[in-house]
Amino acid sequence: MRSYELMMIHRPELTEPDVRTLVGEVEGVIGAAGTVSDSDFWGKRRFAYEIDHLNEGFYSVLQFESGAEMVETLDRALGLHDAVIRHKITLAGGKN
Amino acid sequence: MPPNTRKKRRRPSAADARRRPKVCQFCKDKAEFVDYKEVAVLRKFMSDRGKIRARRVTGLCPKHQRALAIAIKNAREMALLPYISQRG
Repeated sequence: MRSYELMMIHRPELTEPDVRTLVGEVEGVIGAAGTVSDSDFWGKRRFAYEIDHLNEGFYSVLQFESGAEMVETLDRALGLHDAVIRHKITLAGGKN
Repeated sequence: MPPNTRKKRRRPSAADARRRPKVCQFCKDKAEFVDYKEVAVLRKFMSDRGKIRARRVTGLCPKHQRALAIAIKNAREMALLPYISQRG
């Protein structure tokens, strides 16, 4: 078990409650094999540059503890998820 | 005999004596790590064009300059910071 940090960007055309439920779903998935220690919803934020003709997105940051297999499945699932524009999983505390 | 082309070491000027030696900002703040989410902090170490400033400019220690570069690149991937900026 290690501490990780997950940042996700969701599509801007979704509504905030929808994004919150999507983030909640991810928390549920992590909770099945680990623990979510902190969840931070940044809200809609402008991008520093255009991504797929989009200029903004919903940012959310999760801190969690889990095994490495969880990170692998999560990384794959988020990469395929239509509502997630980008995501990044790092070791918490900048230990990458 | 060929002219002596060896460069002489520059004598320290008065300006050098006045300039304080730079101390690594992250060491000074006792930062445990450089966070890629703290965009305002990272921006201080970037040029107007969005380029990462050199160590001789930032005055950071090797450890923190490396950590800073990685943090900026992570922030760029998440569109928190630009790869190139139109300004300047």
